[in-house]
Amino acid sequence: MTLGLTDRPGSLLAALESIAVNGGNIISIVHSRDRITGGYVPVSISVEFPSSENVEGARRGIEERGIPVLSMESLERRIETMLIIGYLQVEELNRVFRNRGEVISLTVGGGSRSPYMRIVFSAGVEERPRLLTDLSTLASERGCLLVPEEN
Amino acid sequence: MRLVVLGYGFLGRLLVKVIGRYSREELLLAGVASSRGYVYKERGIGPDELTESLVRHPEFREGPPIEMLEKARADMAVILTPTNISTGEPGLTYIRAALSSGMDVVTADKGPLVVAFRELVSRAESEGLYMCYEATVGGGIPIFSLAKQYFRRDRILAVRGILNGTTNYVLSRMHFEGLPLDLALVEAQRLGIAERDPRLDLEGVDTACKIVILANALMGLDKRLTDVEINGITRISSEAMMAAKEMGMTIKLIGRIENGSLTVAPRLVRLNHPLCVHGTLNAIQFRSSLLGELTLIGEGAGSSTVASLVSDIDWILERRGVSKGNLRGGQPL
Repeated sequence: MTLGLTDRPGSLLAALESIAVNGGNIISIVHSRDRITGGYVPVSISVEFPSSENVEGARRGIEERGIPVLSMESLERRIETMLIIGYLQVEELNRVFRNRGEVISLTVGGGSRSPYMRIVFSAGVEERPRLLTDLSTLASERGCLLVPEEN
Repeated sequence: MRLVVLGYGFLGRLLVKVIGRYSREELLLAGVASSRGYVYKERGIGPDELTESLVRHPEFREGPPIEMLEKARADMAVILTPTNISTGEPGLTYIRAALSSGMDVVTADKGPLVVAFRELVSRAESEGLYMCYEATVGGGIPIFSLAKQYFRRDRILAVRGILNGTTNYVLSRMHFEGLPLDLALVEAQRLGIAERDPRLDLEGVDTACKIVILANALMGLDKRLTDVEINGITRISSEAMMAAKEMGMTIKLIGRIENGSLTVAPRLVRLNHPLCVHGTLNAIQFRSSLLGELTLIGEGAGSSTVASLVSDIDWILERRGVSKGNLRGGQPL
């Protein structure tokens, strides 16, 4: 999000408080002093929030403190876990994940008697349903069972 | 009101004891039937007359329960027959007969509702009769009673839950003790939690039946068992359960109704998730347009189911202007 801060001590701190109480994890802060417009210094802040409700909460809190939010762009991604009862070829998994999500970790266990795969992955909120549908179809075709995470 | 009870197993015996606590003016137990025969007394059966075995009663008559139902002068029939999910019988025939004879119906038998929900509800409505089935889903959890009042002006958008105590017990033992499924099942059978033939539970069919009833009763759908995509827990190994546990999760069998589709499948559930209940507990969550999310938790089987039967009976008594549904005495079960 890009905020319009006045060039006064403490104005950034007020904005950061709203982000903190909404569970935001600040990744970066960039001051653009060379782009002062209308008395405001544009400050771009990259933040990770636990949910979209927290994003809205932070935005409200910042605006209530008299700081304008000049622009905001959110990239919603979820990190979650799934189990596959059985075993799928890694190449097949990669094919399904391509352009839809990212495998963060893959654990294979259970030996040959009761094999399972545990996958921690991230996916965009929009891509997730299609990813899970395709994984479920693949699992079913290979005689495996997909056990996704309940939200 | 005059009442007959069809089915004298665990639930039937418990219910008959509780009925003894109503005043005779409110509720008179006229007949009780088991699969072997029945006891029917025009002037009513006293609260202590029946023992564990119906056969020992001096006025016991051998014969099919339908015989009693057809000749009974009764206002309400409580159907507690064993569940058959393929045909709905014998409960389906008994409910049809009771409605044809002008009786309100209370049932704990899922079978007839899974097979012929719309038919039975329409038949009851067209005759101006009540048909209540609180005890068919979630044991003692007040699901349909809540819906009748609380969700009357609301719209239920989705329902999900743990609706089978046997599988939840087995999965809980696998999670907490690291037991393999077959050992956890043997333990559940020894404790009387699981049936001798547990396939309907483990394969998710029992949960699917409950999901069908919920979809038809709460969301106005017309679903059958064949409409449910079912995956049970038989393939869940102790190794897979441990892999879930390492991530702060467990595996639960979840039934779900969402966007018109019905599914039953094992799912990973975080330990702090509202649906994450253990042992024989059931949990059900509604999402509605006005309320948002509401989760109910309770025992899904056993003696608590009688509370649902009593609640249905009281609801009918109240609608018929017989009583406000207060029990006389108040002895705990």
